[in-house]
Order: sequence, then C-alpha cells, then structure tokens
Amino acid sequence: MGHHPRRRSLPRGQLIPVTVIGGYLGAGKTTLLNHILASTSERIAVLVNDFGEINIDAALIESATSSTMTLTNGCICCSLVDGLSAAFDAMLELDPAPDRIVIEASGVADPAGVSAFAHGPGLQLDATVVVVDSETIQATIDDAYVGDTVSSQLAAADIIVANKADLADVQLWLTGRYPTTLITPATNAVVAPELLFGHAPTPRAAASHEAADIFESWQITRDRPLPRAVIERYLHSLPDRVVRAKGIVWSSDRPDRQLIVHRVGRRVTVRVGPPWPGEESTSLALIGLLSTP
Amino acid sequence: MTRVFTARRIITMNPALPSGEAVAIRDGRILAVGTLEEVQGWDPEAPVDETFADKVLTPGFIEAHSHVMAGGMWTMPYVGFFDRRDPKGKVWPGCQSLETVIERLIEAEAEMGDDLTDPLVAWGLDPIYFDDERLLAPHLDRVSESRPILIFHASGHLATVNSAMLARHEIDADATTPGVDKDGDGNPTGELQEPPAMRLARSGMAKLGSRLGTEEAMWNYAAESRNAGHTLVTDLGTSQLTEPDQLERWSRVVNDPEYPCRAVVAMSSAFGGPSDPAVWAEFSKELPDHETDKLRFGIVKLMLDGSIQGFTARVSAPHYYRPPEGHPGNGLWLIAPDQFASILETYHRAGLTVHVHCNGDEATEVFLDAMEEVLTAYPRPDHRHTVQHCQLAKPHQYRRMAAMGMCANIFANHIFYWGDQHRDLTMGPERAAGMDACATALRAGVPTSIHSDAPVTPMGHLHTAWCAVNRVTASGEVLGPDERISVEEALAAITIGAAFQLKLDHDIGSIEAGKLADFAVLEEDPLTVDPMTLKDIGVWGTILGGVPFPAAS
Repeated sequence: MGHHPRRRSLPRGQLIPVTVIGGYLGAGKTTLLNHILASTSERIAVLVNDFGEINIDAALIESATSSTMTLTNGCICCSLVDGLSAAFDAMLELDPAPDRIVIEASGVADPAGVSAFAHGPGLQLDATVVVVDSETIQATIDDAYVGDTVSSQLAAADIIVANKADLADVQLWLTGRYPTTLITPATNAVVAPELLFGHAPTPRAAASHEAADIFESWQITRDRPLPRAVIERYLHSLPDRVVRAKGIVWSSDRPDRQLIVHRVGRRVTVRVGPPWPGEESTSLALIGLLSTP
Repeated sequence: MTRVFTARRIITMNPALPSGEAVAIRDGRILAVGTLEEVQGWDPEAPVDETFADKVLTPGFIEAHSHVMAGGMWTMPYVGFFDRRDPKGKVWPGCQSLETVIERLIEAEAEMGDDLTDPLVAWGLDPIYFDDERLLAPHLDRVSESRPILIFHASGHLATVNSAMLARHEIDADATTPGVDKDGDGNPTGELQEPPAMRLARSGMAKLGSRLGTEEAMWNYAAESRNAGHTLVTDLGTSQLTEPDQLERWSRVVNDPEYPCRAVVAMSSAFGGPSDPAVWAEFSKELPDHETDKLRFGIVKLMLDGSIQGFTARVSAPHYYRPPEGHPGNGLWLIAPDQFASILETYHRAGLTVHVHCNGDEATEVFLDAMEEVLTAYPRPDHRHTVQHCQLAKPHQYRRMAAMGMCANIFANHIFYWGDQHRDLTMGPERAAGMDACATALRAGVPTSIHSDAPVTPMGHLHTAWCAVNRVTASGEVLGPDERISVEEALAAITIGAAFQLKLDHDIGSIEAGKLADFAVLEEDPLTVDPMTLKDIGVWGTILGGVPFPAAS
C-alpha cells in the first residue's frame, strides 16, 4: 500500500525474532530486560507494556543503538483500537529493522496473548520468558485477585526464570507444577544468553559472562531436501537437555520455501517461511546443557 | 435578543418546577421557564416561536459514555442484526439471516469503484442471533471472488474474510497464528479470532482503523447523537490527546457553529500515549485553556477489566456460570490491582475526575478499596469519581459508592442486547437478574446515569432509558423486574444525572433559568406514554444553545 522498499539491516524476507517477557509486578522483568540489553550487541527494539516511569537503563538503550516504545494497558476486551497491534506496526516500520524485538508485558498481561502477535508477517516468536520472584511466588499464586493471572502467565512460559534464587529455592516446586517447562534459577535476573536467545554471547558481553561453559552447541547441515514429518519427529525427540534448537530446513514437501523450525524447551514450532534467497540447504543449530544441573 | 418557544409540555427535570409550557432564551441561555405569561414578563416584545407547540421539550440528552469511533463506522456498510439509523437518517434494516447479510454486501460491492484492491469492509455482524450458523469465506466468495472482503463482528473480537483476502495476505494452511480458524483439512475457514489473527488481514483492518478517528467520524457521531435527541457527546476516552494537532482539531470541529453537540473529551492512557500517569496529569493542566461552552475536558478514563460477554470481566466468586471450555476461571486485569491505587492517587491529586471501566464486581471492589485508601490520605470534596459500566456491582458496593461521594454510570443497554446470554451463559439467572442494578443504585443514593457505550451498542438515550425502565431482553423476557426504574428516574439519569458526573450540572442537564438552552424535542410525552413504547417516541431533533437542529430524516 504505497510503501517503498527500504534498506534493512536484516536480509529481505528474514523474520525478526520476538522475545516476550512476562511475570507479575516485582518479579524482575525490567531487570531481565536491562540484562538482555547489556549482554548483546544485537540491535533491539523494546516495547514496554506498563504504567508508570519506564526504568530501562538509558545508557544501555543508547549504546545498544536500540529503540524503546511504551504502551500502557492496550485494551483487550471490547475495543476496536488495538494498541498492541499498532505497536507492532510501528516496530515493523523501524528503519533499519531491529535484530530482535523484546516485549516486556505488563504485570497482569497474559504473555500468550502478546506472543500470539509474533506469528504475524515479518515476525518469529523466539521465546516466552516468564520471571517469578522466588521469595513470593508461592503466596502470589494463591492471591484472591491475581493468583489465576499469575498461574496463566506461568502456563504460557517456554522458559521460567526463578529470579531471586539467592533468597529462596522454588525450583522443585515449579518443576512439580510445570514439568515440561524449561526452568532456570537466577539472581538479579542474570540468565545465560544461550538460553534466552539460543546463541552464544555476543562479543560485547562475553567478557562479563562466566556461565557459558555449562552449554555445548551443535551444528547440523544437509544439502538435500528432507520430508517435513521427519524433521518434526526429530525435533520432538530431542532430549530435554537440548534447551534450544533452531534453523532453516529444505523440505521435500515445500522445496520452494524455507521451512523455519524452532524449539524452546519442549515447544516445537515449524513454519513455512519466505522463498530461498540463494542456495537451498538445511542448517540447524542446537544448544544443550553439558550435564543435568 | 430574546426568543420564546412554546411547547405542549416542557419537562424541566428541576423538581422545584417540574413542568412548563414556554421557555425564554437569550444569548444561548435560558432566561425563564414557566407559563407563556410568566416568561414574557422578561421581555413582552420577544417573538414567540410556535414551531414546537405540539412537541414536548426535555433537557437535551447527555450520553456520558460512548466513543467517537461510533461515527467512523458509518462510513462503511452495516450488517448487524437490529435495525439501525445512520447519521443521515437512513434506516438500515437489520440483517436477520446470513442470506440478508450476503445480499447487503452484494449491493455494497456493486457501488464500489473498479479498483479491486480496495477492500470491502462491513461492520456490526452478530452471529450470536443466528443459531450458531457461521459466516465463513465461501459465503463471502459469493459477494466477490476478486475483491478482498472483511466483516468486522459486533463483538470486536472476530473478523470474517473471503478467499481473496486470505490469498492477498497469504493466510493459508501454514498459518501458525492462534485464532486462524481452520477446517478439517487444515485450510483457513475465513474466520479470524482475536486481534493477533485479525491483524493478518492487514488491508481490511487498516481500512477499518483509518475510518475511526477522522473529522468525518466526529461529524457523524454528533449527527447520530442529534438524531436521538442528544445535545452532548463524550469521547471516553482518547489516548491521542497529547499528539500534535489533536486539541486543535477537537476545538475546530466542536466549536464550529454547525456542529450539533457539545463534547466532553476524556483523556485515557488505555490505548496508547504516555505511559506515566504523572505525564498525563501534567498535560491536563493545559486543557482548561482549550475549554469553551461547547468543549470540555477534566476527565480521565481508566480500565480495570474486560467484558462479561467475552468472559474477561473480573467477577467475584462463584465466578462465571457456564464459561467456554478451557476458560481460566476468571477474567483479565488490565491494570494490576496492586498498582491501581497509586495511579488513581496521581489523577485524584491533580484534581481530575476519574472514570473507571469496571464490568465485573471484583474490578469494582478494587476501585472502591483504592478509592478509600486515596481519599483517606488525600480528602477532596466533590470529586465525583465514577464507576463506569458497573454491571455486576452489589448492593454493598453501591452503599460504599454513596458513602465516598462516587457516581455510577450503568450499562443499561446490556439487558436488552446480552441479557439472555447473561442469564443462560455468563452469570446464571440470579446474578443476571441483579445486573445493571439501577434501582439498587438509586436506593443507595448513588448519583446515577445510564449509557450505550456506542459503538458497542447503538446510541440513543430513549432506547437506553427504555432498557432501564423495562429490562426486556432481546428474546422478550423481563430480566430482574425489581431493578426496573421509573420513566422519571430514567429521564433524570440521561439528563441531570449524566451532567452531574461530567461536573456540568451547573450548566446543563435541566431546564432552569441561567442554564444553557439545550433541549431534546420529542413528538410524545415520555411521562405519559406506555413505558414499553418509550423507545419508539419520535425525535424531531434538538435545540442547542437556543438554536434548533432538526434530526436527519
């Protein structure tokens, strides 16, 4: 509709990964966001869906050449104007395009409702990360007003960050409730980039990063097409210690299109992507824990 | 110059002088109301206008909760179930079957230009009345196989598109977005559920969005209001007010002498704009400079929960009656209860009137608890903070509202449009009978108004009053007869009651000397007709600031 093609930092047709951060008030969502900004040199567009002053470290935004947008409680009931949809439109208009979009959902938002937008054109849901305050989560989940909200948030998570792990240990309790979700303890919301993004730390952050040696990674490449069903079976059968898998597959079912595959924890997404920009080939990257923690 | 209007009856809504037969007007304000002889005492030479000698005048109706986007919808074809009159006065008969929907669309498509990339967008579809028969892409393909079509449902949660729209935006079997409805073979049916899926039909949603906030929408909105006897519109509320030119645009349009309504524009952070309440509070300080007799501000709108029919309102135990499978058990918070008091405090201390969307009683409870905390710390006389929708509020909550000087604006239209669903699905018979409890509110002494929330339900205060008076549902049943109110009480709710919660009752809402000369001009006397015919009373039009504005016919 009248838009001219623009120069993008991503190759044309490449999907922008979206990370959704959810969790109740005070769990450490903004701390995690600041940690993400500090630990990557990716160009990140940040969308914060909350009331009040936005406590993102301004220096990080500047140095990461990222941009921030804010959105208060975009109405999700009987509104014709959908704030979130408009915010995504604006993010897709950013020039140059960001390497990643990170959305901090409001303390009462259902992250699934936010991540549903990330299947749209130009976007690829990377992971829904829900942060909990280890000290208070067991009380919050029984709260008369917000217990069901927090419960829904946790159920929507690909990765649960059990923050403030230095104050309380709720790993077992969480595993009992969410046996198929990837759960990682954290202090000050420090989470390994391998988990958060599915790739090793970028140079800028590597110096301050100490936990990288608990992961190992594999690359798989093939230059012949594979049936989609085979690749889906393979992704589902990976052991639990593979925390992340992602890649582009040359499938015999749709050889003209890239098949974009993605696994976070145990959630597998397979999606038909854009046409091949160059040579067809399959390339998968896997990240796993060296040993069960 | 003084001008005198005579009428069959003038219902003043001033209990000290409830009725008159003539009203004298000077400089847009009421000079006197009473007998012809009495009002001529001010100026025996004043011309007497007998145009309305066989009509009934009431204070102009005041809709204290609706949205300007209602006017924007009328730039597109209407395919809803009920008859509806557009701003130009044309009645669009309700589409009571899928076949009539398709016929209406075929007509509308025929009137469009040759540019087949221009999508056909229609609105108002409510298949809840079609016994589960769904409108799907194959139906719309009968309208056009080449022009993309999008039908926006009345609920705001669904859109149905045709195959051309699916193809244009590559919505196919590979779509992974939740809400893209698929058939047994895995192909999209054309139904897109919830905004993430609706958004995929970009050209259709973009066209819809582009129509909602235009100047044409603002004019349509006032015209539809005038046709219903309203002399004041609210926009409750807008998040765009801080954007460049927005204030100027409201001023330019509303202050145009031809614009047939006054307007109250509430600011709201619910759909965008600055996130920090302190920024809005600071911004609000410049609003009085833009106020005129026709345009006012001073209200902030917040939203705590969702809707009852969408099962997203926050409802206290025993929660929802028959929720859909997989429902999490309660609704959604739009603001965290723990965060709400500090937001309320910021606006309360800035001197603004805070109107809070609370459909469910649990949301109302959070508002009331926060109000008590804030008022205890920062007492403020005559704040008039208002519970909006207030659909499930309980008697004890109305008593608390009264004790704290709060108002209620009750969504009476729900009784007619969704009352049957509330009884059978959302709330069950007992709580449905106690919904939208106007009688309880008045018994508790809460200043009360009633509203349409247009475009959620059609605007028209005689119909809204009819809902509160009769509590008849779409199927014809009376829901909660003990919550019915009298016609007189309903008239008060849509005039002086609404004016009170907008803090304009010194200027409008009743016919009294000194007030602005705003009247609804009716063909029948609402106080003497059969209350079941209240909604059918003809509206000649309005008088705004002494100037007649006939309804479009």
